[in-house]
Amino acid sequence: MTPERFRAWVSTVLVIGVSASAALFLLGFIGAVAVGWAGSLTGASTGTADSTDFSTVGAGLAAARPIAFAQAGLLVLVATPVFRVIVSLAAFALEGDRLYVAITSTVLALLLFSIFVVR
Amino acid sequence: MPFGTDAGIFAVSLVAGLVGAVAGIGGGVFVVPALTLAFGVDIRLAIGASIVSVIATSSGSAAAYVRDQMTNLHIGMFLELATVLGAIAGALLASVVAPSLLFVTLGLVLLGSAALQVVRLADIPGPAVAPSATAVRLGLVGSYPDRNLGRTVGYAPRRIPLGVALMGFAGLVSGLLGIGSGALKVLAMDGAMGLPIKVSSATSNFMIGVTAAASAGIYLSRGDVDPRIATPVALGVLGGALVGARILPHLSNRAVRLVFAPVLVLIGLQTLARGLGLA
Repeated sequence: MTPERFRAWVSTVLVIGVSASAALFLLGFIGAVAVGWAGSLTGASTGTADSTDFSTVGAGLAAARPIAFAQAGLLVLVATPVFRVIVSLAAFALEGDRLYVAITSTVLALLLFSIFVVR
Repeated sequence: MPFGTDAGIFAVSLVAGLVGAVAGIGGGVFVVPALTLAFGVDIRLAIGASIVSVIATSSGSAAAYVRDQMTNLHIGMFLELATVLGAIAGALLASVVAPSLLFVTLGLVLLGSAALQVVRLADIPGPAVAPSATAVRLGLVGSYPDRNLGRTVGYAPRRIPLGVALMGFAGLVSGLLGIGSGALKVLAMDGAMGLPIKVSSATSNFMIGVTAAASAGIYLSRGDVDPRIATPVALGVLGGALVGARILPHLSNRAVRLVFAPVLVLIGLQTLARGLGLA
């Protein structure tokens, strides 16, 4: 793997993550202007769920609720740096750079520990 | 929320993303006071929105910085080890440590660093000093194309242990206080490790997204991130960061410091005010 390919990989992950989250936020915003944040673009009954409760994002997306699009945008945005670390790990591994495979694996483990365990 | 409020938050966030991308910071310094003072948002939700701003600035600008060789991927990943460890320690200590003294200390450090930036305004990246054996072994030696100077500038980090220690401190502070993480990262790379200011800014931008993502889980599960506020913040910051990242390679080093120094003063004053109970 050349340094150029490596940079292209990492850059592409960031572009995809940023574009996807921006599209979801935009969809949420346009939807909110049309039917309100708690409304539904498919005409489902108006939601009452707390907008900061992310456990309803799946059901909200199914009902095309603007708030769920914005929540999904947030989740994609937060996941982007994590994916960036995962892709870096793959690239270091393909380079056969053992030192940086070790460093990046540790960063990834700490990151996942921090996101899912530390409260 | 009325449409005008969204437009206002979007405009502030656009500036935060633009300045953040150039200065290597996440833009919380603009987003938090604007949301609380101008738009009456609760401080808890404003800090939650600033996490969104940090991640958006980071990913939005780093896409260009990585492609344009402004970011040093090895230095970024190596130092992330220290910042993420520091951030976890900070999050765990948050309920134990009384932060007011820390806020005051950090505020004074940032104000002092701002003065240092003014002293170093005339600095231009010189010929690369011979890299230390450690820097070579860790793969931290690099170069970047400086569009303003019209040449490729080589660099090698000095004082690596001090840089690692400061990065751990930057992580600790961001986990503990949720402020100033990007500014401290730039200072560690520019001040302690002697890296060019543009590389420091771009690499800091690359790193702050990971540090912020590490604490984002906590903020999301606490209900501190409201998507209705995050939407105009994220869209504005992403737009600003995309533009900022196109500008940085063309700026002179002096111009980058002229953006960074007042930002340090602002963050320093805000941090002091919080430490002294004024905000």
